[in-house]
Amino acid sequence: MFDFLIQGFEVALSPLNLGLALFGAILGTLFGALPGIGPINGIAILMPLAYTLGLPPESALIMLAAIYTGAEYGGRMSSILLNVPGDAGAVMTTLDGHPLAKQGLAGPALGLSAVSSFVGATIAIIGLTLFAPLLAEAAVQFGPAELFGLMVFAFASMSVMMGKDPIKTAIGAVIGVMIATIGVDSSTGVMRYTFGMAELQDGIDLVVMIIGLFAISEILLMLEHNMRGGGEGLPPLGRVFVSWKEIRRCRATMGRCGLLGFLVGILPGTGASVAGAVAYTTEKRISDKEGTFGTGDMRGLAAPEAANNASAAGSFVPMLTLGIPGSGTTAVLLGALMLYNIDPGPMLFSERPEVAGGLIASLYIGNLALLALNLPLAGLFARVLIVPRWVLVPAIALLAFVGVFQLHSNLAAIYLMLLIGVGGYLLRKLGFSLAPVILGFVLGGMMESNLRRALSISGGDLGILWQSGISIGLWIAAVALLVLPWLLPRVLRAWR
Amino acid sequence: MNRTADRVLGLVLIVLAAGAAAWATRFNVPFSYDPLGPKAFPMGLALILAVLSLVLVIRPGANGEWPDRPMALKLGLVLAVLLVYALLFTRLGYPLTSLCAVTVLARLFAASWRKALVTGVAMTVVTYFLFTQALGIGLPEGRWLSAWF
Repeated sequence: MFDFLIQGFEVALSPLNLGLALFGAILGTLFGALPGIGPINGIAILMPLAYTLGLPPESALIMLAAIYTGAEYGGRMSSILLNVPGDAGAVMTTLDGHPLAKQGLAGPALGLSAVSSFVGATIAIIGLTLFAPLLAEAAVQFGPAELFGLMVFAFASMSVMMGKDPIKTAIGAVIGVMIATIGVDSSTGVMRYTFGMAELQDGIDLVVMIIGLFAISEILLMLEHNMRGGGEGLPPLGRVFVSWKEIRRCRATMGRCGLLGFLVGILPGTGASVAGAVAYTTEKRISDKEGTFGTGDMRGLAAPEAANNASAAGSFVPMLTLGIPGSGTTAVLLGALMLYNIDPGPMLFSERPEVAGGLIASLYIGNLALLALNLPLAGLFARVLIVPRWVLVPAIALLAFVGVFQLHSNLAAIYLMLLIGVGGYLLRKLGFSLAPVILGFVLGGMMESNLRRALSISGGDLGILWQSGISIGLWIAAVALLVLPWLLPRVLRAWR
Repeated sequence: MNRTADRVLGLVLIVLAAGAAAWATRFNVPFSYDPLGPKAFPMGLALILAVLSLVLVIRPGANGEWPDRPMALKLGLVLAVLLVYALLFTRLGYPLTSLCAVTVLARLFAASWRKALVTGVAMTVVTYFLFTQALGIGLPEGRWLSAWF
């Protein structure tokens, strides 16, 4: 059963892949630490470059995954030191992390958060190793009808779990799916929404979409933040270390929140930000007996850090086994697989064990490397926080331009990227989060083709969509997810 | 807080959905292998978008602050820089256009002219050699430059 893992370690331990995992871990930590460049931006910007280098798919994926996990480590730095989350997953880290830094405990806070990140990620990677092959085996039986039901479930869970405003999350996802319908319809050859432009015939390219939506809109947002103050200095770091006493005190917290983060990560569409929030509120309920959470409690710091790193590993479960991304970042990684013409899904473990196993094995290695890097070098990584925006922004712009240009060699793609960037900026200003849009975009094509395939099997009878036990279960789960948050409080109130 | 933005957005999205649906009615094919054809899915999406947008119009939320006039102007300038960069990217080549784009962008992000120019030169040189020599990426060179000398 663990053949894939043994083969995976053979792949991941080759000098090239080991080097790439280390390189990705360092780069990811930097990306996570830099405010504004989260894991999605980092991966989006580097994906075209990794592709051009001609790396084999497993190597490219190993590097990109290391960037992802590294960014979850790095995101905590600006949360703790500056009270500015480095990425969405680290929002809850500010609550107890920054008060600790203000008390002069920045060093121990960084140390403990590195250890919690490590513990959370380790729990989740072990979960991934045990759980993913089983799920893949079960998923082999999924036909188009079941896959369609699964995507409906994914969208339902995304609307409920992601973002503050479920309506806006849903609208964002629909917009993403609609953008995915642009281009020639593969089964009939009809042009859809192409405005007669040849460049749009193949649809909007994922890389253009991601870089526009995230990197370009980020540039515009940063301009606003840049003008609004900022530029405060770093608090003194002190020595970055952890004492056994603290680790022992946070032991239960790390374990619980690691497990919780893993489970949240598996749910399609819910990423690190949800995991961090769920873990923090749960942990506060369980262990905040003296009311110290929010004033610099080490457990309040360990909870979201264990959870967001665990969710990163957890979100690989649906991606590798079902082809459905568990988070915005895995949606981008899925796009990277598609660049290589690898169909992610249940067959990945049996047909491309070197990709699935190599990735999982590299997560073990990367995680160890991240702990080893982050304890002694935290001070060094923290330095990047003072990189001024006027250096950061032009660098993002250059990488975005070169990345898109060398994949497409035409300017139309760059114009499109800028246009999408403006759209992304407007959506963000209107209170949308962009992860649903990119998830809708990635899932949209699969959703339509599975629906149409299912209906051509049944000859047009919609009943096929809820015929098997699996699809019925998925539909019920989806409806329950949508209805329960609304219904449950009311029922409870009536009960009392 | 201001709720009009969400109302306007809702209305715009409803118009967009109507347009998408109207366009989708014209996705006609003489023969389709699947009973659904290319029309139904986009039309269903337009319907869902319209319903969700209607909810947004009826129950709008408040959203964040919008840029004031000087900020909007600055945002426009940043976009203009990126657009001009794209326009001239292949014609004048990577080194020259990047130098200008980086310098102006840095300046727009509140660097002094001196710092902006240093950033521009350093970043262009470093990335140019990184991309072409280390990563083997072909960048537009701007052959007109070599024709001059």
